[in-house]
Parts: sequence; structure tokens; C-alpha cells
Amino acid sequence: MNNVIEARGLTKRYKRTIAVDNIDLQIPSGRIVGLIGPNGAGKTTALKAILGLANYEGELSVLGKNPAKDRASLMEEVCFIADVAVLPRWIRVWQLIELTEKIHSKFSREKCLEYLASTKITQDHRVKQLSKGMVVQLHLAIVMAIDVKLLILDEPTLGLDILFRKQFYTNLLNDYFDEERTIIITTHQVEEIEHILSDLIFIQDGRIALDCSMEKVQENYVELIVAPDNAPAARELKPLYERELFGRHIFLYENANREHLKELGELHTPSVADLFVATMNGGAA
Amino acid sequence: MSRLMALLKREYWENKGAFRTTPLVIGGIYIVLTLMFLITFNHFDNEFQSLKELTRWLTQTDVALRGDIIYAVTAGVFPGLFSLVLGFVVFFYLLGSLYDDRKDRSILFWKSLPASDTLTLGSKLLSAMVVAPLIFWVIYVLTYIVIMLIFSVVVLSLGENPWTLFLGIGSPFKAWSMVLASYLAQSVWYLPLYGWLMLVSSFAPRIPLLFAVLPPVVVAVLQIWIEFLQTFTLKKNLFGIIGEWWANSPMITSVGNHGDGDLGLTLGFPLTDTFSHEATIVNMLDRLFSTHMLIGLAVAAVFLGTALWLRRRATES
Repeated sequence: MNNVIEARGLTKRYKRTIAVDNIDLQIPSGRIVGLIGPNGAGKTTALKAILGLANYEGELSVLGKNPAKDRASLMEEVCFIADVAVLPRWIRVWQLIELTEKIHSKFSREKCLEYLASTKITQDHRVKQLSKGMVVQLHLAIVMAIDVKLLILDEPTLGLDILFRKQFYTNLLNDYFDEERTIIITTHQVEEIEHILSDLIFIQDGRIALDCSMEKVQENYVELIVAPDNAPAARELKPLYERELFGRHIFLYENANREHLKELGELHTPSVADLFVATMNGGAA
Repeated sequence: MSRLMALLKREYWENKGAFRTTPLVIGGIYIVLTLMFLITFNHFDNEFQSLKELTRWLTQTDVALRGDIIYAVTAGVFPGLFSLVLGFVVFFYLLGSLYDDRKDRSILFWKSLPASDTLTLGSKLLSAMVVAPLIFWVIYVLTYIVIMLIFSVVVLSLGENPWTLFLGIGSPFKAWSMVLASYLAQSVWYLPLYGWLMLVSSFAPRIPLLFAVLPPVVVAVLQIWIEFLQTFTLKKNLFGIIGEWWANSPMITSVGNHGDGDLGLTLGFPLTDTFSHEATIVNMLDRLFSTHMLIGLAVAAVFLGTALWLRRRATES
């Protein structure tokens, strides 16, 4: 199996805090991975280490390279959008395209212009004249036009309206993604990417709280909705998490006996958001 | 190579105002002042009644002396404002070179491109050392040509021959080459300063100007204070060293007398006698191959190395 990212004991300490705590990680190629965690969980820090933007302890190999040492050559195969729009404000769109074309051997001008054609951005615009959402559109158009093996999107759709967000994820899946490529996405709008993910990684307090494929999520986790009088019985079966909605009790189980659960109430596949909440509050139930 | 060219282009695009518009404005001012002078000359209260009289008087002066003066003005006086402003432009450009993209966070975009930090830093240093001086020099030459054309038209209209009067005798090509050589020599000479500015630019959390100026001032003041406390005197404090460095710069700054009574161009400011201040290529090279320069290069290497180290870590937090 060819792993795009391989990390062992990946740790990142700042002066007083440990942002990433001894993470082991293998991400094979051809996956779309959702990296999900609360604010300050260490997502961005982990991504920075992977991109060669920060030092780290432990072993880390991205596409067979050491990101701390080979950032420049790694960037030939990796593209990323970090957090919010960070394009230089003074630059004009045509200059940005020309620069990327000259520096990135795998950039396709045609593809980029194709993506831009569906927006209101013109080549003569300066970045500072564009709205926040348009800057993101521009950045995405550039990134999607680069033929790389690993694409990392850290909150890529912040500030975009829902129409463009839907369109973007559709494009990402239909035009961009293939078995050769790997995409890692972090976002707070989990519901929007849920259906395109192949793998799920939860990060909490610098540690991995969950790392499994979406098929496994559907196999292993189940949600049970019961009326209040069945709640004590359901509670007996050691749910991961319990919540109440409109007077009904909802329990989330891992590797539970479904036949048994069915007798108590309705079964559902949990949404990623619910699974996330359950995992983050794990043990509290 | 194409990556370096692209990065140099990026620096030019970002700093078009400083690198191109500024010298164009200076050139424009020169040309406008020339025209204003020609238009109002007859109204000056001077010993010549008209331009025609002045021109006729000029034709009677000694050709060799006239040539020397024209050469000295071309290389020593005319580029003055260009050279001065170039210094400011490069200073502030370098001060912002590794700071601006950290401040607006676009460093994350630049680091997403497959260009190494060394290449990026190199492109910025090269922009300061070669690109900016070259653009200033080209515009200085163009301005000079335009003004000479204007004078030629005036002189022709007054019935005199501009070629024998000034065009053919001032060795403009030699003057231009000297100015270009002095610009490039100055770029090498000031490497320690450029290194310092880039270093400050790579770490200053805000107001890089303050971080660039304050430490040398503090050190120098301390030195002067210690000097004052002790009975023996320290030969040099940091102010003295920087001042001397500046005075010894291989930049053509003015026209002066260099011993033999002839009018000549002056390099730097003749405040010390460490180097000869007569503007010759040999004297420029003498500076660039001196122990001073060697120490300066070592200092520059330390500054630039540290700046690169910091640049690699600029995205840490």
C-alpha cells in the first residue's frame, strides 16, 4: 500500500503547550480525508507540519519526502489553501496566473481560466478589489488548476455562499478527484463534506480521537432513537453518548448488537456531526 | 532560472511604484525644470542678455575644459537626485522585503509555491542590488538624453552646432558607465547594511524601521558612554564605523578636486583617507577587494543566514 502521508510519533510543542501529541497516521493515496476537531485541537498545526511550514518532533514522510527539509520540492506535488484567503493584496489576477504558471510546472492556465469564467473575477482585478468570497474563488481556481498528488484544504470555503460551496465540492469530486490523488479537508461545516469523504479523522487535544473509513463508520456506529420509557434499557447497553431531542432519547453505540437494539426503537446511521459530538464528549455519557 | 525570473518579476510588480514610478518622476522633474529654465532664462537678472549670448560665449570657452565639466556634470551632478532617492528606495524595500507578506499573511501563499526560501531571499536581495539600481540608471540615462535633445534643439535654433558645443565632447558613454559601475559597486559595498535590513525584516513583529535603527543607536550610545567612563578612549564606536563605511562608499556623490588640480568625480565623502576618493574603476575595486569588504561580507553572511533561518520558521505560529 502506498501511503501519501506517514507519521509516527508526530509531536509539536510550543513553549508551554503541546499542540500535537504523539500522533500516528497513515493516509493512503486516492482518499478524501476529513480532518475534524474543535478549535485549537491541533488540526492546523498538524497540517503545517505536513506542509513543511513548521518544525516538529517524530517521524513524518509526505510523498516519500521530509517536509521540514524539502518544502520547495514537496510543493511541486502538494497544494494547499490555508485557513482564510491569504493571496497578496497588491497582485493582479493576470500576474498571479503568470507567476503560478512560471513557478509551478504542473499548472494549467486553461483550466484556471475555465474555473474563473464561472465567477465575476476578471484578469485585471487586483486581489484587494475583490470581496472575501471572490478571493477564495480565485485561490480555489488556481489550486484546482494545479495537477498535484496531495491537496490540503484548511477551511477552504470560509466566507463563501452556499451556492458556491455546493458547486465547489461538486467540482472537487467530479473534475478534480481521482484514484491518484488525495485530498485532506478541514472544516467546521461537516455536513457539507460528509457525503464526499472516504475517511474520517477526529482530532482532540492534539491526539487522534477517531481514525476510520466512512464504510467503517456506517458499519460500526449506530444511532438509536427511543421513547423515554425505553431509555433506561438503552442506557444499560453502554452507549457512547446520549442526548435528548423533542422528548425522545437518542443513543449512539459502537459495535452494538443491532438486532437487540431494534427491539428498543428506531435505528439510524449517525451523521458525522453527531458522531463528532459523541466522540468529543466521549466517556461523559 | 525561470523561477528566479518569475520571483524577480513579482518583486518588480509589487514595488513598481518605488522601482519605476519614482525615478520616472525624478526624470520628469529634471525635464520640467530644464524647460522652465529655458523659458524664463531671458528674464533672469544676469550678465547674459539672452540664451543666444550665453551660447555664443560658451562656444568660445576652452574645448578640453568644457568637455571635463560636461563629463563631471553628467556623472557627478546629474545623477545626484537619482542616487539619493535610490538609496531610500532600496532601504525601505529591504526593510519590508520579509515583513510585508508576514504581516498580511500572504506568506502562506508564497510558501505554497515550489520556490525555496533561499531562492525567494535571493530574488529579493538581487532586486535591491541589481534590479532597482538598473532601472534607476536606465531612467537617468534616458532623462539625460531627453535633456540633451532639448538643448540641441535650442542651440540649433540659435544657429550654433550642438555637436561641437557639448554633444561630441563630454564622453557621455564613459560617464554613464561610471555611474552604473558605481551603483553596482555600492550594492556590494552596502551588503552588510542590506543583510541587516533583511534580518530585521525577517523578525520584526511590527515597525521594522524601529528595529532597524534602535539597536545600532543603543549600542553606539553605550559605546560612547563607556568611552566616557574610561580613561583610555575607544578608537571607534558603532556610529563611527557606520559613518566611515558610508563615507567610503563607492558611489559617485559629487565633483571635487583630487590633488592634481584637475576637476574630478568624487566617490563617497572624503572625510577619511582609508581609500582614495577619486572616482575611478580601480578605486571602486580597491574598496571591493579590501579587508573592510571582507569583514563586511562576513557580517552580511551572518545577517542573511539568520534572515533565511528565520524565514524558514516564519509560519510557525
